[in-house]
Amino acid sequence: MTTTTPTLGPAPAPAAARPVRRRRSSALLTYGASLLAGAAIWELAGHLIDPVFLVPFTDTVRRLGELVASGELPTALLASAQVFGAGLIIAVLVGLPAGLLLARVRFLRVGLEDWITGLYAMPMVALIPFILAIFGFGFTPKVIVVFLFAVFPVIITVYEGASSIPARHIEVARSFRARERHLWRDVVIPYTIPFAMTGIRLAIARALVGMIAAEFFLAVSGLGELILITSRRFDTAAVFATILVVCILGVLLLALGHALERRFAAWRGPS
Amino acid sequence: MTAAPATHVGSAAGRPARTRRPRLPYPVWVKGSTALVIFALWELFTHVFAPHYVARPTRVAAVIPEVVTSSEFLAALSGTVVPIVQGMVVAVVLGTVVGLAMGQVRWIDRSLKIYVYGLFALPMVAVLPLVTMWFGYTEGARLAIIVFAAFFPMALSMYDGSRSVSRDYLEVASSFRAGRLAVWFGVVLPASLPYVLAGFRLAAGRALIAAVVAEYLIGIEGLGFYILLNARSFRHNEAFVAVLALALFGILTLFLARWATRRWCPWYRQGAG
Repeated sequence: MTTTTPTLGPAPAPAAARPVRRRRSSALLTYGASLLAGAAIWELAGHLIDPVFLVPFTDTVRRLGELVASGELPTALLASAQVFGAGLIIAVLVGLPAGLLLARVRFLRVGLEDWITGLYAMPMVALIPFILAIFGFGFTPKVIVVFLFAVFPVIITVYEGASSIPARHIEVARSFRARERHLWRDVVIPYTIPFAMTGIRLAIARALVGMIAAEFFLAVSGLGELILITSRRFDTAAVFATILVVCILGVLLLALGHALERRFAAWRGPS
Repeated sequence: MTAAPATHVGSAAGRPARTRRPRLPYPVWVKGSTALVIFALWELFTHVFAPHYVARPTRVAAVIPEVVTSSEFLAALSGTVVPIVQGMVVAVVLGTVVGLAMGQVRWIDRSLKIYVYGLFALPMVAVLPLVTMWFGYTEGARLAIIVFAAFFPMALSMYDGSRSVSRDYLEVASSFRAGRLAVWFGVVLPASLPYVLAGFRLAAGRALIAAVVAEYLIGIEGLGFYILLNARSFRHNEAFVAVLALALFGILTLFLARWATRRWCPWYRQGAG
């Protein structure tokens, strides 16, 4: 299965089969070497460059340890996780049925598809000042921002998945006198699940951006607050440490998204 | 209600039946009435529930001519669009070359993959305070964050493309003793053009977000700052015009990428969206 490429690219062409097993150990070795080399370059550059701009790797790790020990980082992480989780869950809960309805109900599709494409292409950050003015500070406006960032990829991928159901599947179901309700349960939803997983993966990535943006520009909190405050104090080591944490978080969430997608990709079957 | 997705019955010959967005007879009245309903609901809700300064469709429409011709708005527009175009050029060129090299040369792949992947996953908003520490609260910081935001999706998409180039093409090229540069830019790049365009679409979206966020935080002239300033002084209708401009810009890049895919990669069946 080559359907697990990391970007929102076009569906990848089937790559030539490679002997995977034999290469895995050597790949791990080179990745390890690459990480070590990166750390070494960072360390060296950190000693050469003004510490306001770049601090050595070891100092960053030490500062990271302090942030964890003082409880600042865990508190921030928890606050961010709440915003992220609430926004993402609502986005998925809204996006899945919305995408399905859009694919199955003709007047909704015709009426709303341009709106949804437009909203998907629009940078949601532009709405933050309005959300601030209308909803003020607090937890809810931040969840709204994360929701707005995350919901459209879910709607669109689910919609595309559900409207790409081969006509013969629906015809077979219909010839067995399936009603719309049964059609949903036995054809539409199972067929769409792999697409929904792709949407959720995209939503996870966007929700993370939305989370940081909300924490910067609405009531500052969580990891965003930590980055903002430490950068204003010119505590470069702490800035790097927090960004490192966000980066690792991003990679882990992306990997989770890919795992979800792979888990359900087998479902997709030969198209 | 019960309309099954219409499919291209005629094109069933040999091709898998996963057809894309069904071609419906274009019911203009459905689109028109949905738009009317949305605008009416918006107008009604803001009228009843929201404070008077919140943007309403009628008032936004009323201020559009005035805003669009005002010098502040035009300055803000060029303030955002010009650095995005500049940053995109840099990111597209660099990202294409790096992605291509990663897809074709194993040691480059192995040594860069972790970093490209990791920085792709990192929301660029988080790096913004760091960039302001490096570049100061300047336009250079905005350009830097645009390049940073656009480079990684570009490189990663090109990486996928250059890995998925058919072995046959490469073997034919090498049996004609094509040099490495000729293979890269004569075979691999054209063959992965759909990926370049998909990367471009993703990168343009991210660049737009990056520019707006940078303007919020740094406070330099641009559409993002225009929105912030007007929203703060309770001129939501004026601010909303800038939101529309940003949405328009996003939609334009989307259509540009789609059109280019159809124009230059007619062999490639592209998904909608």
